[in-house]
Amino acid sequence: MSDVTTLHPARRSAPARQAPNGGELLMRYGFFILVILVFAGFTFLRPTFIAPGNIHGMLLSSSIAALMFLGLTWIIATGEIDVSFMSVAALSNMFTAWLVQAGYGWEAASLGGLGTGVLFGLLNAALVAGLRLPALVITIATGALAASLAAALGKGTSISLASTGFVGDLLAARIGVLPLIAVFVGLLYALCWFVQEKLTFGHYIYAMEQNRAAVVEAGVPVNRMLFMLYVLSGVVSALAGVLLAGNLSSGQPYLGTSYFLDGLTAVLLGGMALKLGKPNVIGTLTAVIFLIGLLNGAALLGWTDSERQIVRGSLLLVGVGLVVVARTRRRSAAHT
Amino acid sequence: MAEGTGTGTRAGAEAGEILSMSGIEKRFGDVKALENVGFDLRHGEIHALLGVNGAGKSTLIKILSGVYAKDGGVIEIGGESYDLGSPRAAIEAGVAVVQQHPELVGDLSGAENIFLGSEAPRPGLFARVNRRDIAARAAQLLSRFPIEIDLSRKVADMPAVEREIVAILHALRLENTRILILDEPTSTLTEREKASLFAMMAMLKARGIAIIYITHRLEEVYEIADRFTVFRGGRNVACHTVAEARARDISIPNLMLDSKTGLTFPPRSDRADGEIVLETRGLGVEGLFQDVSFQARKGEILGIFGLVGSGVDELSKALFGAIRPDRGQIVLKGRETRFTSPAQALKAGVFLVPGDRRTEGLTLDENVVFNTVLANLSRASAGGLLRFGANRRAATELAQKVDLYPLKPDRNLRGFSGGNQQKVVIARGLYREADVYIFVEPTVGVDIGARSRIYALMREISKDKAVIVISSDCDEVHGVADRTLALYRGRPIGAPMRGEDRDRLLHAGIMGSETGGKAA
Amino acid sequence: MIRNQLIWRLGAFAALVALITVLFAMQNSAYVSEGNIRALMRHMSVQGLAALGLTFVIVVRHFDLSFPGVASLGAMTLGWLIAIGMPLWVAVTGGLAMGFAFGLVNGIAVARLGLPDIVTTIATGGLAIGFSYFYSNGTSISQNFFMSGLLDLNDSKIIGLDMPFAILIGTALIACLLLHASRFGAGFYATGQNRLSARFAGVPTTTLIILAFALCATLASLSITLLVASSGAANVTAGNQLLMPAFAAVYLGAALFGRPSVGATLSGTLLMSMMLNGFTLLAIPYYYSDAIVSTVLITAIAIFDPRISAALRRLWPSQRQAA
Repeated sequence: MSDVTTLHPARRSAPARQAPNGGELLMRYGFFILVILVFAGFTFLRPTFIAPGNIHGMLLSSSIAALMFLGLTWIIATGEIDVSFMSVAALSNMFTAWLVQAGYGWEAASLGGLGTGVLFGLLNAALVAGLRLPALVITIATGALAASLAAALGKGTSISLASTGFVGDLLAARIGVLPLIAVFVGLLYALCWFVQEKLTFGHYIYAMEQNRAAVVEAGVPVNRMLFMLYVLSGVVSALAGVLLAGNLSSGQPYLGTSYFLDGLTAVLLGGMALKLGKPNVIGTLTAVIFLIGLLNGAALLGWTDSERQIVRGSLLLVGVGLVVVARTRRRSAAHT
Repeated sequence: MAEGTGTGTRAGAEAGEILSMSGIEKRFGDVKALENVGFDLRHGEIHALLGVNGAGKSTLIKILSGVYAKDGGVIEIGGESYDLGSPRAAIEAGVAVVQQHPELVGDLSGAENIFLGSEAPRPGLFARVNRRDIAARAAQLLSRFPIEIDLSRKVADMPAVEREIVAILHALRLENTRILILDEPTSTLTEREKASLFAMMAMLKARGIAIIYITHRLEEVYEIADRFTVFRGGRNVACHTVAEARARDISIPNLMLDSKTGLTFPPRSDRADGEIVLETRGLGVEGLFQDVSFQARKGEILGIFGLVGSGVDELSKALFGAIRPDRGQIVLKGRETRFTSPAQALKAGVFLVPGDRRTEGLTLDENVVFNTVLANLSRASAGGLLRFGANRRAATELAQKVDLYPLKPDRNLRGFSGGNQQKVVIARGLYREADVYIFVEPTVGVDIGARSRIYALMREISKDKAVIVISSDCDEVHGVADRTLALYRGRPIGAPMRGEDRDRLLHAGIMGSETGGKAA
Repeated sequence: MIRNQLIWRLGAFAALVALITVLFAMQNSAYVSEGNIRALMRHMSVQGLAALGLTFVIVVRHFDLSFPGVASLGAMTLGWLIAIGMPLWVAVTGGLAMGFAFGLVNGIAVARLGLPDIVTTIATGGLAIGFSYFYSNGTSISQNFFMSGLLDLNDSKIIGLDMPFAILIGTALIACLLLHASRFGAGFYATGQNRLSARFAGVPTTTLIILAFALCATLASLSITLLVASSGAANVTAGNQLLMPAFAAVYLGAALFGRPSVGATLSGTLLMSMMLNGFTLLAIPYYYSDAIVSTVLITAIAIFDPRISAALRRLWPSQRQAA
């Protein structure tokens, strides 16, 4: 028995899946091609689509939305959920506007808005990661709490502001057609891509989604990671809310609703890019630009609200379907 | 306390001992899982742990790996006393376990799985993952063994043996591992794969790592182990070197057999020609079992003996419509049938008492009445509405019939012992009024008293129904069934026989041989 | 033992009702006036119907986030059918059928295709909102409402009860029969607790999950019908206000009575409505209502959680004896 056996490298009929085949490449990069094709189509039909002013506007809204969905991307990547992000943004937006109206400077007001995000991030983190309560119902509740407080700050209506302070200046700053804020958000996303791809944090996010037990057994502080992710989601959503206060020069208590579906759509649809069904930051960024461009182009083409809503809902369904298909393919491969 | 630990246990003060456990006690409620157990392990030996299901070997392993806390006894590792209160403490003491189904992350490469949780020299959430470095470290670890596998492949794409090796390397990633526990690593491997796993174990042994090897396959003991310890009924009953066992012609199967003091089997049936109710012809499911043919008759009990992984559990599910067979036929009451769901099988008159009653059998947070009537809701209702009073009466009556203790039909199932939970499943079957009753592992986790009652119930049911009992406990199959069949690695050994000799059945199921001792 | 526990829980519920009543009545004696109690029951009817539907989905251990959107679509369908001159019963049936269809889609996607329930129902909810814009491109509909008799659904009375409350009681009775007295009810609970063992007992688990989603969407549409009848107009955001109270009622009830059930949900709805009604009476503005509801919801979930309730019992050992 003690004689030495080696495994034959080409044993079993397991196909060598080392080099990605054509289909997989298409899935990885197909989304980028789709974005380019759709945008080219809009440009062809309505040349104003690529007018500098329009591009600038789209990049500005994309930057704010992308900021808001950053934490959400990783939370969904771990297999958890956060449905309070848009309401936290709305609360931060209203609180900033309320502070400005009450005579505080924009600097203090922005800090205050950010503070609400930290607070709600901590609340979600404590309840979901700390006490291990069900993420969905908890974030429904904290989201409703944030939305309610946002409405209360303006007594049910919006707060319009006379000035937009340094936030307005920041949003107005531009390098050619490129808003300065887009550069910042771009850099932030690049940093997050690094964390996601090169550091243990990102490594564990994806390992956790697949087999949390294995990651826990290996001694990784999974709960601490979730805690950080929920705080992150609160902070970036609040930051987006502050920027929106400057961008809209007002506080809008109900701005959350429009970001809810878009956020989930961007994350799930973006998951198809690069990582085959796993939400990732580059995918989210691309999907945000795609969604904003799509809605903008559709508006140029004169689509009705109804049609645009249906496109949004359908895209989310397509995203869900694609993620599930990609996952079952992976799972079935794992079980042979 | 360490004295009198059973017949063959050696006193454990020999030189070169890495682990010594003595007087280990573990109780679950009223059931004694381990009673004054002693076990010792030497440097660089492969020590097989043997015993039927429920003999206590997995409880011992869980105590050693810090999953369960022991109720009494002493554990010494490398001469120092340890308490092993948590998995972490066990890892720090140098004990590593490779589970039967190891937890791996499918999308990560073999190398990444090996170093999961210790990617960087300094652990932390924001350390750099250097995949080249991980690959190099993994290659280095692997190079100690005479095995060539591609650790850059995703684990999901690896065959079973490579996954097993990755799991072992993950356990060995820490330098201080002194004791490695392998829990049935070969259950999903082919012969060739097994050979490479054994080669790796031999290397580990040469490096001085002590291996506890749990298996149901006795031939492997002779192939790889140096010593073996046999567990029976929560005690260690024998410990021999393999050489000694060969020289003295010691029969391991006989050591494993439980004399089951106080256990009585009901008398056999004297009818041999009852009407055939269920028949299979060459039934098979790719990769699980093949060529299974038998006839189950009214008035007798058909027993099928097979170890875990032999395909018996899957066979029971194929008969019940939960798995679709891809070859052969199932003939029920003279008509060929194809069930596409358990609901159809139930309607046609087949009832399954599943092997894992907690996940497959019962709704534990509901009471006895609910669980009794669940499989026959049309009988339990009139005009679509449940007949509460009648159901409660019927369930109480059946509970009395199966000797449910305590006789509390309103109590949730969680509040009953394993044996009494099993009785509720049987009551459910009686309420269903089926023609064929299939019992899978009917007495796992059931105490002696309840066992006798369950066997008697099976005999009673068999008076006018067909009963099939499927079990990995040879004594149970032999004791209760009128005709028996053994399944070994998915294949029936011989044909169903009346009055089969116990030892022949045992050898057929454990070794795959038709006659005692000789190869098939 | 079980019976004692139920009595103890009912006692706790009664004590809560009494406490809330006394607290609000002390602030404003109008709280216990007949008019206010009628208003409370009306409010409870709308919330209760949506919560009853959600109860079925929670019992089979799934989530539905689409019912607010589906309810909006139901409202717009109803409004449009009335506006084009259809008789009332056709319009109401149309609205409910729309809800039922979306519920079926949800159920099939989740139970048969195995899609994840949370994101799928968010998507179908978004889709339903999109469709609800179709009828009038997003503007609210109220033509013919007065003539159609729709408003009678809100205003008329039946054996001394306001119509909406009578509808709630009727629906609750049917739901109670279905979930607690019929052969299907046992299947719902068995499916939720352990789908595999339920399947092995012959329970049609897939069908029951689909049915649960269908009931949830249909009852949400029924609830919105009452809301449209009371407000006199259908609009595309009508359903939004259903989400929080429904989840809160189901979880609060489950926390009080140990598991989700029709009775538990009704109790949860009653407590929520009593609080909201009381705060309205104290002139606390409407936009605080979600803050109140969500605070109650978070507290209820925390108590519902077995580890936390076990910890609470350790803090107050006397309650363990009582339970």
